[in-house]
Order: sequence, then structure tokens, then C-alpha cells
Amino acid sequence: MTETSNGTSARRNRLLPLRAVLRPQVVLPLASLAAFLSAWEAVGRSVNPLLFAPPSRVVGAFIDLLRSGELLTATATTLNVLITGYALAILVGVPLGVVMAQARTFGALVNPYFYGIFATPRVVVVPLIIVWFGVGYTGRLFLVFLWTMIAISTTTADGVRNARPDLVEVARSYGVSQTQLVRHVLLPGAVPFVVSGLRIGAERAVVGVVIGEMFLQLTGLGGIIVVNASQFQTAHMLVGVVTIAVIGTVLIGALDLLERRFSSWKTTSN
Amino acid sequence: MCCQIGSSGSVDERIYGCAVEPPTHCLGSEETFVAEHSEVAKLQLQGITKSFPAVETTRSGRTQVLSDVDLEVREKEFLSVIGPSGCGKTTLLRIVASLIPQDSGDVLVDGKPVTTPSSERAMVFQSFGLFPWKTVLDNVRFPLLIRKVPSKEATEIAMTYLRKVGLEKSADGHPHQMSGGMQQRVGLARALATEPDVLLMDEPFGAIDAQTRELMQEELMRLWQETRKTVIFVTHDLDEAVLLADRILLMSPGPGRVRSILPVDLPRPRWNYDVRGHPDFAAIRAELWESLRGDLLREKSEDTIR
Amino acid sequence: MTTGMLRTKRIRSRMAWVPKRRAVHHVLFALALLVVWQLFSGVVGPLFLPPVDAIAAAFFDLVVTGQLPRALGQSLVLLVVGLLAATAIGFFFGILIGRSRIAHWTLSPYFSALFVTPTVALVPLVLIWFGFGFTGRCLVVVLAAVVPILLSVSSALRDDPGELVEVAKSFGLRGELALLRHVRLRAADGKAQAAHDDRHGRAVVGMAVAETYLRLGGIGGLIRSYGSLFQTDYVFAAILPLSFLGIGLTALVGRVERRFQGWQS
Repeated sequence: MTETSNGTSARRNRLLPLRAVLRPQVVLPLASLAAFLSAWEAVGRSVNPLLFAPPSRVVGAFIDLLRSGELLTATATTLNVLITGYALAILVGVPLGVVMAQARTFGALVNPYFYGIFATPRVVVVPLIIVWFGVGYTGRLFLVFLWTMIAISTTTADGVRNARPDLVEVARSYGVSQTQLVRHVLLPGAVPFVVSGLRIGAERAVVGVVIGEMFLQLTGLGGIIVVNASQFQTAHMLVGVVTIAVIGTVLIGALDLLERRFSSWKTTSN
Repeated sequence: MCCQIGSSGSVDERIYGCAVEPPTHCLGSEETFVAEHSEVAKLQLQGITKSFPAVETTRSGRTQVLSDVDLEVREKEFLSVIGPSGCGKTTLLRIVASLIPQDSGDVLVDGKPVTTPSSERAMVFQSFGLFPWKTVLDNVRFPLLIRKVPSKEATEIAMTYLRKVGLEKSADGHPHQMSGGMQQRVGLARALATEPDVLLMDEPFGAIDAQTRELMQEELMRLWQETRKTVIFVTHDLDEAVLLADRILLMSPGPGRVRSILPVDLPRPRWNYDVRGHPDFAAIRAELWESLRGDLLREKSEDTIR
Repeated sequence: MTTGMLRTKRIRSRMAWVPKRRAVHHVLFALALLVVWQLFSGVVGPLFLPPVDAIAAAFFDLVVTGQLPRALGQSLVLLVVGLLAATAIGFFFGILIGRSRIAHWTLSPYFSALFVTPTVALVPLVLIWFGFGFTGRCLVVVLAAVVPILLSVSSALRDDPGELVEVAKSFGLRGELALLRHVRLRAADGKAQAAHDDRHGRAVVGMAVAETYLRLGGIGGLIRSYGSLFQTDYVFAAILPLSFLGIGLTALVGRVERRFQGWQS
């Protein structure tokens, strides 16, 4: 590798006698985080505690929202739409993706419209959603569902289309039916693509639910952000932001683990 | 006079076709060989013709890959198919497997024409063709599940064949954890698990290193003697063709035709003596080599004329 | 061309459509959709689904009165400035994080945190801290687009195109900086394109978010104002350019980048 590795290994040798916990990859992030938080605390306190929301205030706001039950209710609302929308997107998206890959005409025709919708920022679509679904649960669900479903179906279709032709031939030589082909060869082979689609879809879903809660109907964690922002309660607002970030991290982290489990054979398959 | 090959032995042979112009009185001669084995024709190819859209831009229209191939494969016999590249041997095998359709002609199994792939003509592939996401056991079970064999029974049968190839301990492993030779043994077990009528092997040891290949050849012979399938074995390796076969089908290129068929009367089993040292081995091999060389040289000169 | 390449071409053309045929099919399909749309709009009413001619008229009106060009101009300025800033920042930190392990351990967590936070959620904060000005809007675009850029650059650098470095060294390139620029960024470009193509999409989203939320100018503002008047035909007319902007931008930049990495294959 590069010359830095020599320096690092020398440093590591000096650290080894100390406990393994004190590795650079653990110490440095923590140190920088500590530095960052203290700087923020100092600046925030001195300039304007309300606007700058030093960490101490954020923690206070967190406890405040937790005690009043607001945080839990809001999280539940957000998770409800998020999980329902995501699950529906998978249930519809994966089979649709298979169909799009197998019925090539259909897939090719529909593709540009899917991409067009996907490329449209949902923020600007909200007025239309209001007209179609009104201000409520369905509208927020739609914002999560459609965009996530598109992500999942297009990646699944890619995966099925990229099936190894030699393996398809092997399956055919044993006289498979179309359903058996999909089940034993096309879908398992598409798993890496599907999981990648699930990850993109998860990110889109989180963004979608927040947009719905900030622009369509003020509720959930998005609602906490907007309402507190309008009252300049920056600390409370940040609690909402952080909670959403945590939800996103957990969801994508779980999918990363899933991807790793399903890809043990991937390295040598091509 | 028909093209005759072989000065030694097998006086009452007749050979189909010739490299360039089949003498008319040899055409349509459907006499079967004097055989030690069964005389029943398991597989028949009648007038198989196949062409593809031309690859090279210099040629227009289509490339004739196979032209009027007639062949009979007898029950329980091991037939090697050999020929220079471009003679269509792989295409022929795929037509027998019904993976690609022929332009004209019939493929008959037990006298009945076949047009769709089925596990009764099981194929073993050069690239092994194992599904990386399935365990070894599931790979072998695959053709059985396709034929709607109940799961438990499928597992038992699969394990039986894994035992036959000596891989029962690797049943829960995945293909990428295994060497090429092991993977091909799984491929073999998979093909045999459905108890096919015909075993089609497409240069199965081509992607395997030389030492393992010798072991695999021996193992194949053992399995074959034990299960006694009809086998069509395509290879480009002369030694391998002679070593394994009861008969050798030599094909000529551009377009692919049956050039000659040589019987191999070397005594079996062929793994407990020095086969390659047997005089007949050298004789047969020499004949093949001469024919192949002739074909290659002729094709090369035709290429330069073109 | 070698036989191998020709064979691959043949196989691919057997699997895909011949381009000419495909165009005709798409046009026919689009026309069919428009007909269905028109019929549907008659059923559900002009508010729900404005008829195609109404949208076309609205679009024409927006263009002629100059609203759309002006809005588009504002949006594009915001987008370009934001993307340039995001690219500069992304490359700077990306190179830093990619080359230095210390930088990676110290700085990455913040960018990761930024990555998982929807940009929308950060907009109110930006508003509070930076107000309604161009800086604030620009910052939103930067926040949206910077992390994917950074990730592509840093991951490509960490993969270390060792062989390429050797080759470049042998041609007499002197100085880490020159080496860095010529070889490594070239290699990074290839992977950057492959890995995170949606940074343009994210930038467009960032731009739209900034404008909509801050209700100022640009296409986002246009849509918002017509939306509040429930003039759905105008809303549709204004959304279309936005969708095409996202797609077109990604395609355009993709083409430029692909030219850049022609040598890689």
C-alpha cells in the first residue's frame, strides 16, 4: 500500500502494549467528537443559546420531549408510514421488477416514465398529492410507496436481466418451466441487485416520510422539526433531526448486514 | 470405395461419409457396427443441419455449422466426439439436448423424436454450471425438484449420488468453496441423479488442471461402468477421446460433418493397466491425428485462398 | 474488431431492441398514454387531472410570459453554484479522507451522519442560521450533494490504483501533486461515475427543497405558488422541466465523464 501504512504500523506497534481499545479508529473519532461537541457548546452558549442549540440544550430538549410523550408518539407515527410504505413497496416492487425483466417490451416502455417520476423531487409534487389524496395518511404513504417501489422494481429488473446466461442454459437443459426458472435461477441470481435496491429504497423511504410530515401534514418527527423551527426552538428541532438520522442509520445498517449475509458466494460467481 | 481408416483390426467396419465428397454408394448406409455391446440404437440423429447468422463481416448470409449429420448412438455405449474447432461438435451436443433447434432433421431417443430439453438427456458443462447460491446438496437436488420429486426423496437420491462421487461430506458447502475438480464431480452427480437415458458431456474436463483431469477421467469411467449410461462425450483432447470411448466420432469442419467413426476395442476396465502403452491406442490416435491434421491444413489453405 | 467482440455484440443485440424499433414503440406508447390521460381527466375533473391541452396551454403561457424561463434561470444558477461548491468541497475532503487514515477516522463520521439525514430535515436549521438569502439556499444544495461526491472520491482513492501509479511514475511525473492529479483522479473518475451517479439527482432535489421551503423564486417557488392556488395544470406544467432537469443533467455529466475514462477500458 502507500507510505502511510508504514507509519501507521509503527504507531500500532507502540500502542499494542496498551489495551486494544486504544486503537486509532476508536480514539480519533471519539476525540474529534468530543472536541466538536465542546466547541459547539462553547460557541452556542456565548453567542445565542436559543438559536445555536448547544448540546446541553439538545439533551434537555430530548428529555423534555421524551417525558411529554411527544417524541414517542411522533416516532410511532413516522415509523408507521415508513414501514408500511416500505413493505408495500417491496411486495409490489419485486414481482413487478421480475415482470419488467421478463416482458421486455413492457419493461422497456415503462422504464423512462419510472425514471422520470423518480427524478422528480417529491417536495414539488406535494401540491398534487394534496389535490389527489388530501392532507392525511394516504398522501404521506403514497410519497413513501411510489418512489421506493420504483427504486426496488428497477433494480430487481436489472438483476433479473443480468442473470448469467450460462446458468439459465443449465436450468433449461433440465427442462425447467418459467416459474421454476424465476424461482431457482433468476431471482436468487438477482439478490445482490435486489438488496442494493432495498438500500436505495430505504433511503428514499426515509426522505419520503419526512417530506410528507413537513410539507403535507404536520405530524410525526417531521412535524416536530417544522413546528419547533417556526418557534425558533432549535434544540427541540434538532432532537427531531437526530431521531430521523438514527432511524435512517439503523434501517440502512440492517440492510447492509443483510447484503453481507446474502453475498458470501458473490465474489466468485463471476 | 468408402473412405477407410485403420489398417489393423476391425475388418468388418463401414464408415460413414467422407471429408469432402461422400461417394454415392456410401451414402445412406445405415448398417450398424459389429458390437460387443447392445445393438439397440438409443439415440439417432437424422440429417441434422444447422446454420447461424454469419459472424465474420466478409461472409454474407449464414454460416453453415452442421450439414446433414447422421449418427446412431447405441445403448450403454460411450461415444467420444472430437474434431477441430468450428466443426460444430458443441452445437451438435446442444441440439441433442434440445437447447437449440436444428434447421432440419430429427433427434430420436428410443425411436421417438425429442424437441424440448429434459433431464432424461442430462448435460454436464465445461464451466460446471453450478448455482453459486445453492449448497452442493441443493445443486444436485435441483433437477429432481424440477421433476416434482418430493423433497425428502430428492435429498436421499442426491446424497446417494454425492456418495458415489465421494462428496457426501461437502453436501452443505457452496460451490465457490470447492476446487474445479470437485465442482465438476458435483455437476456429474447432478446429471446422474435423475437417472437420465443419455449423458451429454461438453468438454467437461476442459477447465480442470491436468493432474486432476486424469483422476476425473478414471472416476468417470468407474461411474460409467457402474451406472452404464449412454454417453456422448465432446472433447478436443485426442488422448482423452481414445481413453474413454467405445467409439470415436470424428467430425470435419466447415460445415460440420461426420468424417469418420472409429471403434476403440481396448480392453476395459482401462484404469488398471497402462492404456496409453497399448499398441492399439497409438494406432487409433495416429489415425485421428492424421485426419485432424489433414483437415486443419486444408482449412488453412482454404482460408488463405479466401 | 475481433471475433470475440463481434460475438458479444451479437449476443447483446439479440437481447436488446434494435434502437430504431424502440423509438417507434416509445412514441406510440407515449401517444397511447396521452389519450388515456385525456379520457381520465374527463372523468375525474380538471382539478384532479388537468387535461393534456390545459397543461400544454399552461406550459405555453409560462414560457411566453417569461415566468418559466426566469424561474428556470434562477434554479439553474442555484444548482450550478451549489454543485460546483459541493464538488470542490467533496473533492477536497474526499482526497483528504481517501489518502489519510487519520482524516478518515476523524472526519468521516460527520459526513456519514450528514448522509443519512434527509436534506429536508436540515432545511429549517439552515433557515434559522443563514436566513432566506442565496447563501442559505446554496448551502442546502451543497448539503444534499456533497457526501456522494466525497464518498466516490475517497473510496476510489483508497482502492489505490497501484499499477497505474507505477506506470505514471515511469513517465517522469514528478511531485505528489502532479501524480495525484493525473493518475489518481483519473482512476477515481471512473469509479466516481459508477458508484454514486445520483449526486446530480440529489443536487436537484436539494435545489427544489431550498426553493420550495424558502418559497423564493426558482421553479420550486413557482410550483408552490400555483399549487396554493390549486391550479394543477400550471403545477404540472412547471414540474415537467424539473424532472427533465434531473434526468438530463445526470445523462449529460455521465457522457462527459465517460469520455474522460475512455482510456480505462
